[in-house]
Amino acid sequence: MSDDKLLVVKDLTTTFATAGGDLAAVAGVSFDLERNETLGIVGESGSGKTVLSRTIMGLQPRVNTTVTGSSIIDGFEVVGASENEKRTIWGTEVAMVFQDPMTSLNPVMRIGKQIDEALRVRLGMNRKDAKARAIELLELVGIPSPVQRYNAYPGQLSGGMRQRVVIAIALACSPKLLMADEPTTGLDVTIQAQILNLLDELKERLEMSVILVTHDLGVVATRTSRIVVMYAGRIVETGTTRDVFYHHRMPYTRALLESSPKVSNKSHTRLITIPGRPPNLLNLSDGCSFAPRCKYATDQCHLVRPELQPSVEPGHSFACWNPLPVNAEATLP
Amino acid sequence: MSNFSLEEAALMMVEKPEKGEPLGLFFWICVFWIGLNVFGAIFANLLPLPNPLYENFNAINIGPGLHHIFGTDDLGRDIFSRIVYGSRVSITVGIGAIVIGFGIGAPLGMLAAYRRGRFDAILTTVMYVLLAFPAIIATIAVLSFWTPRSMFKIIVVIGIASIPLVYRVIRTATLSVATKDYVIAAKVQGATDRRILMKELLPNIAPIAVSFFLIGVATVITLEGALAFLGLSVNPPTPSWGNMINEARTVLSQNVWLAFFPSLALCLFLIALNFIGDRIRSHFDVTEVKL
Amino acid sequence: MSDVRTPLLSVNDLEVTFYVHGHAVSAVAGVSFEIMEGETLGLVGESGCGKSTTGKALMRIVEPSKGTVLLEGVDITKESGKSLRSARTRMQMIFQDPISSLNPRRRVKDIVAEPLDCWKTVTGLERDTLISDLLSKVGIDPSVYGNRYARQFSGGQCQRISIARSLAMRPKLLICDEMVSALDVSVQAQILNLLEDLKAEYGLTLLFIAHDLAVVKNVSDRVAVMYLGKICEIGPADTLYESPAHPYTEFLLGAALEADPDSPMHAQTLEGEPPSPMNPPSGCRFRTRCPNATQKCADVEPLPQEVAPNHMVSCHYPLTIHHQSTTRTPLEG
Ligand SMILES: Nc1ncnc2c1ncn2[C@@H]1O[C@H](COP(=O)(O)OP(=O)(O)O)[C@@H](O)[C@H]1O
Ligand SMILES: Nc1ncnc2c1ncn2[C@@H]1O[C@H](COP(=O)(O)OP(=O)(O)O)[C@@H](O)[C@H]1O
Ligand code: SF4
Ligand SMILES: [Mg+2]
Ligand SMILES: [Mg+2]
Repeated sequence: MSDDKLLVVKDLTTTFATAGGDLAAVAGVSFDLERNETLGIVGESGSGKTVLSRTIMGLQPRVNTTVTGSSIIDGFEVVGASENEKRTIWGTEVAMVFQDPMTSLNPVMRIGKQIDEALRVRLGMNRKDAKARAIELLELVGIPSPVQRYNAYPGQLSGGMRQRVVIAIALACSPKLLMADEPTTGLDVTIQAQILNLLDELKERLEMSVILVTHDLGVVATRTSRIVVMYAGRIVETGTTRDVFYHHRMPYTRALLESSPKVSNKSHTRLITIPGRPPNLLNLSDGCSFAPRCKYATDQCHLVRPELQPSVEPGHSFACWNPLPVNAEATLP
Repeated sequence: MSNFSLEEAALMMVEKPEKGEPLGLFFWICVFWIGLNVFGAIFANLLPLPNPLYENFNAINIGPGLHHIFGTDDLGRDIFSRIVYGSRVSITVGIGAIVIGFGIGAPLGMLAAYRRGRFDAILTTVMYVLLAFPAIIATIAVLSFWTPRSMFKIIVVIGIASIPLVYRVIRTATLSVATKDYVIAAKVQGATDRRILMKELLPNIAPIAVSFFLIGVATVITLEGALAFLGLSVNPPTPSWGNMINEARTVLSQNVWLAFFPSLALCLFLIALNFIGDRIRSHFDVTEVKL
Repeated sequence: MSDVRTPLLSVNDLEVTFYVHGHAVSAVAGVSFEIMEGETLGLVGESGCGKSTTGKALMRIVEPSKGTVLLEGVDITKESGKSLRSARTRMQMIFQDPISSLNPRRRVKDIVAEPLDCWKTVTGLERDTLISDLLSKVGIDPSVYGNRYARQFSGGQCQRISIARSLAMRPKLLICDEMVSALDVSVQAQILNLLEDLKAEYGLTLLFIAHDLAVVKNVSDRVAVMYLGKICEIGPADTLYESPAHPYTEFLLGAALEADPDSPMHAQTLEGEPPSPMNPPSGCRFRTRCPNATQKCADVEPLPQEVAPNHMVSCHYPLTIHHQSTTRTPLEG
């Protein structure tokens, strides 16, 4: 049932007018998201994950930016909506957790006040209720002694604590969709595990959907039900997490998996690498954007772009002219 | 053996511009203008100009015309010629004072930022104390007592007054570079301090330094004008732009040109200097592109 | 790997104390280890535990406040002036931020030649050949890119250039401080493979510092785990990862995310955050977060003890060393 989807993204394209020409940071992206689901968006840096997640919410830069296609959050069309219209869904329908908690918090404002503000402005609470709710939220995100911390400044907290505050602010108006853009990048593994557990727990408790944007396959492997793999602004493969990890068809997905070192590997395991680096979005060819780095590339790959096509499993699709065989699992390292 | 073909390396190359913002036509117009002024100042006596001190009482306060393109002043002296000769004082004071300021302030600023520690702490405290004195008042005070005034004395006084300012700018610029990993890297290659200062730090602070130098020259020229206004610049009849504007004040009702032309010369010169300074900074600002 | 080798580097009771506003920050608090010739020692731990400070103290970029550092038998901490500068060329360091490690205003050739020009060991044509050779070794075409400025390169390439520079004086020991942390996985794998190749070719000994457990295991023969300025466990990479003896190591490994949906989820995460090095706990530094801690841990500092060949742990109640099993119990109650 498509009307019950929380989020429907169709053919979303974000183009920046730059000095070097038009740059399509997101190009023709379509996917949807069920209620109470966690979706992972993975890709290397520059693949357009941040631009995509911001465009979905309507947070793209205002100047030199063109957005086409559609992004419908719980029935609300974001593309083309005015700032004032979008404000009605920001916070209440969809909220964002940014990568760098230091720059998304106001350094000279007490953290409690930063949560209060959302509550008072958006929900019209009075000062006292807002404070009580803010303390509740701080407790919810696992900040010890929330009453004292209410008066702390962001600079007095550690990175992990700051990220919790950012999550508390995002949750202030009980959004249905939480967009987490690299929420744990730059945090230590033990803190990262804490934050990811917290997000999991909150998702269940508050019945939200979460979009987890990351470059780290480890982060999405056990925390998401479905994954979107991005390369050069496009989706190159999507499916359930298991399908993407074990039955991937697109050579880039395979390459990404093979080149990440694993804790379970023996030491001095030779990594399988892909040559080169992600392409410059300003001069992409008409073919598959992975073709210059792909060992299976044929002439067709360089000339014609492969569209997403369904694989055998339901909901699993990939964009490739020479896909890996269906039983790719057997050959996974 | 490493498994990289050069083709792959080419693939990895990112196209980043060699330089920052383009300089633009107006920049070159400004450079030309400054060049012209400096040329005039240096070669004033070789140019076919009337004597700037020659008082022609038959031609007092004439407006711009054929014989005197900018007209003459209340003593019948040729304004154009006085402006060209006047630029000598203004430009020499401007450059001379800032050269003194940089000669002392810049090396100290770089060393302090690179060395840190007690050397830096003491020097910086001293400089900040000096900065707290109103430099203009100190300059005025010294110049009123140190008579007879000469261009040399003015340069020395303003130059010394500018040392703390230069120190602060250069120290701050160096600080942001000195903590970069490539400075540590050079150290672990075995580079000497002297080599690190010259090869790693200097090139990276040069754009800011050059830009501040030019803006400093502009500021000192303005200051010279202000001193002239108080009668504290070079003694008349030697022309300087400041002196000329000051003298014109008294006869403003009879001859506006007398104030207009030196002011125009001063303004254009300052605008050009400031613009060049600003452009150089943004042009060479190779902001490091993040991954 | 079992043959008897002499230690190239032996670090004894190294301490580094910083003074911040008059407060002593004991960033490295008595660290001892040896690195055999040709070996790679990995150093892991959460941020702020003193890894970089240890690396920098070995090179005397920060001054050790106590301890000795013997490189081929010569105590680096006693050197000064020219002999210190020359000792430094036998050790080299590669930094985390690839872009800020290279002077943006110098040409690639000059950057790589810097150590040669400092020491005037080779000059003229010989120097140029050596530079070209080094650049091709790290995968950068000297004839095309040698004259470019460093600022024109991507992160991965900057790291290649840094490697070339560090090899110019033919050092014995290479200290790699988070050298791949800023890179994308596909580029990271290329650099790791390159490092392994060059290590073999140049006979290098490595101290590989990183917070990423999988990356460290991949390149290391032995691994040391640091917590709050002290080494809590050190041992052969494979056995240490398979069966950690220190509770902290176990938590750290449990928090590491494997890019595999079937990897076991560790229900138990380490709570809280490391205490401040300004005010470290008495006794065992991990005791404030350790589930097994007793009064003894608060009173007595645990000394390193050997729990398996080459496997040292500083804990009063080390976990049982086992192979291919999943139960872990403290040795004594
Ligand atoms: N405001 C902008 N103007 C021009 N280009 C941009 C802008 N924001 C992002 N980009 C470009 O869009 C591409 C995708 O960026 P981003 O979404 O941040 O990647 P990711 O989050 O996957 O690392 C990059 O090449 C980036 O340079
Ligand atoms: N120059 C310095 N001055 C004061 N404290 C420092 C300095 N450098 C590092 N520290 C402190 O020393 C501790 C260890 O830092 P560091 O070695 O950088 O850790 P790591 O590399 O493991 O992340 C941290 O608490 C840090 O704040
Ligand atoms: S379409 Fe071609 S180039 Fe692209 S991934 Fe598939 S095989 Fe490789
Ligand atoms: Mg991003
Ligand atoms: Mg570090």
